[in-house]
Amino acid sequence: MVPSSSDLKEGNKLCPESTVIILGGGPAGLSAAHECLHYKVRPIVFEMGSMVGGISRTEAYKEYLFDIGGHRFFTQMANIDHLWREMMGDDFLTVSRQSRIYYRGKFYDYPLKMTNAFLNLGPIESVRILLSYIQAQISPQFPEDNFEQWVANRFGWRLYQTFFKTYTEKVWGMPCQQIQADWAAQRIKGLSLKSAVINAMFGSSKVKSLIDSFNYPTRGPGMMWDRFKDHIEKNGGEVNLNCRATGISHENGRITSVTYDRGEAGLETLPVAQIISSIPISRLVKILDPPPPKPVSDAADDLSYRSFLIVVLIINKKGLFSDQWIYIHSPHVQVGRIQNFENWSKAMVPEGPTSSIGMEYFCTIGDSTWQMTDDTLIERAAAELAELGLAQMTDIIDGTVIRQPLAYPVYDQNYSDNLAVIRTFLETFSNLQTVGRNGMHRYNNMDHSMQTGILAAKNVCGDQYNLWQINEDESYLEEEQTPLVNSTLVEKILRKSFARIDELAFATASGTLAGLIIFLATIWLIVKGGANVGQHLRLIGQYFIGYKVTVAGAFIAFAYAFFSAFLFGWAIAYLRNLFLVLYLYRIKKKSEMRSLRDLMDHL
Amino acid sequence: MENDELNSLNEEKLFSGLLLLNAKVLGLVLGLVCGVGLFIATNWLVIKGGAHVGQNLKLLGQYFVGYRVSFVGSLIGFVYGFAVGNICGGFLGWLYNKIALLRE
Repeated sequence: MVPSSSDLKEGNKLCPESTVIILGGGPAGLSAAHECLHYKVRPIVFEMGSMVGGISRTEAYKEYLFDIGGHRFFTQMANIDHLWREMMGDDFLTVSRQSRIYYRGKFYDYPLKMTNAFLNLGPIESVRILLSYIQAQISPQFPEDNFEQWVANRFGWRLYQTFFKTYTEKVWGMPCQQIQADWAAQRIKGLSLKSAVINAMFGSSKVKSLIDSFNYPTRGPGMMWDRFKDHIEKNGGEVNLNCRATGISHENGRITSVTYDRGEAGLETLPVAQIISSIPISRLVKILDPPPPKPVSDAADDLSYRSFLIVVLIINKKGLFSDQWIYIHSPHVQVGRIQNFENWSKAMVPEGPTSSIGMEYFCTIGDSTWQMTDDTLIERAAAELAELGLAQMTDIIDGTVIRQPLAYPVYDQNYSDNLAVIRTFLETFSNLQTVGRNGMHRYNNMDHSMQTGILAAKNVCGDQYNLWQINEDESYLEEEQTPLVNSTLVEKILRKSFARIDELAFATASGTLAGLIIFLATIWLIVKGGANVGQHLRLIGQYFIGYKVTVAGAFIAFAYAFFSAFLFGWAIAYLRNLFLVLYLYRIKKKSEMRSLRDLMDHL
Repeated sequence: MENDELNSLNEEKLFSGLLLLNAKVLGLVLGLVCGVGLFIATNWLVIKGGAHVGQNLKLLGQYFVGYRVSFVGSLIGFVYGFAVGNICGGFLGWLYNKIALLRE
């Protein structure tokens, strides 16, 4: 549990000689700085931009606030949730999510709803999708190397092509066959089978989900980071804006100093005791002095990023549509997603009859979209908005463009090997840690990025967390664990409940028991003797041909009973195991279908 | 795919255990089922009445000495049924466990 800000009592002065340099003032860097304060370590943050928050900052144009990509606040990590609420207090809205997909001139509810999808697609296409899904279940394609196969194997080719292919390719700017399957596995974590079974066994799942609602600061995510900045500065830390790290010197496996550019104030150098970096890992490698070995430098050059730009259009009316955002799946327009900021928070737009719409374009630095002038981009965005029927050209009264370079680390075919080379090299520095999305070249969400920062700060103070395990170990998605005593106990119960019966053992035991019963029953009557021994028991001979109430008959009966009960026992055990497997399969499929519901949110 | 493999390994571990029967519990359950079953079957015939009450069921007396199709007999039948069921259930569980563990 993270200590609250109030734990920093007055008089608990920070040690001026114990400082941590933090490169980057995004969620990871600021969280690291915030955590340092708890340990009386003085954080000094360098942010190259003019505001904190990184990609989750809030920009402003005139009186219009807008978010760079739409950042929902939702986490399963109690410490992060606590931190958010502590920072935001009453300024943390709970927003009911509404979003749709635009595809072939129609709007589909997203998360997909069966009736809505059926009505839009029509019965023929719906049946085709269903058949394609069944086919994928019967004969999935292996090996599952890329995103296309990953999705198609789970949901069928037709559904993949209808709803996921175009948007995914817009986001990543490459064919889905070139996106690695482990990216999908990391981003789209469905409810684990274990959790699904727990929910199935111990009552309904109390599913809390990004699907239904999320939190959002009243004036956009930047409000959160401004409060972090204020808190850090108020408690003795430093947050330096417009300061770009230009050199990092090292010697004998330690970072010794950092040089940063203060703009007009020129270059300055600061000695380093500990350093936490959230700047892009490829850039970090580039500014090391002396430079890294060539393979490391080459690996850094080979890492690629997807960038992003948002064209904000000011519209002379309110309430254009009720969604917070719409995924644009049509290939005939370039826009990937459209945000309606007034639906995130009323405070994002000024009072009056106008509103702002964010047209999001995914691009790569240097490509045709990135190089377009702002005016051309605004014109194109306005034309596309009109083409989609969401506004009239005459409604659009103004606009602006924000470019966000290096927004998404790309998981291409070489990224994993490249990252391993860089990581191995950077781990040789005893006082350097990398955190955050770009710092680790991992497509982390905000909460995971923050957690890496927090744990890095704890490591500075003596802990030994493995930051690379975050997001691998911690379930992000939509599952609130059933509050049981502990997971070991749950695991024990599950293992017992879902253990298989050994068919042969059960069949043999059943056969032996049945054989012995009838054997003893026969012998008992023989021992008792009498005028008409076993006049009723001998009727079993109707089924067990050759059976008589004699000693020899007892053995014959044993054989018959053993064989019959053996078959019966085996069938019971087999069917029990079969239905158990079918039950688990059903739970697993159900869990996978749940992940389909918000697949696009994770792209 | 490391993560996927790890997950599937965990799931495999979780759901690939061997079921072992608790012989005592199985004996108790089977004993109760047999005992109560015989008790009810006997009393049902007693309540129905007729010229030859329980002419077939009373054949159990061949094995359960003292058993009759009467209320008292149903109590005796309960004891016998419970004992036999208990022994059978216990034996089934014990033998199954022995074989299953041997095979594992």
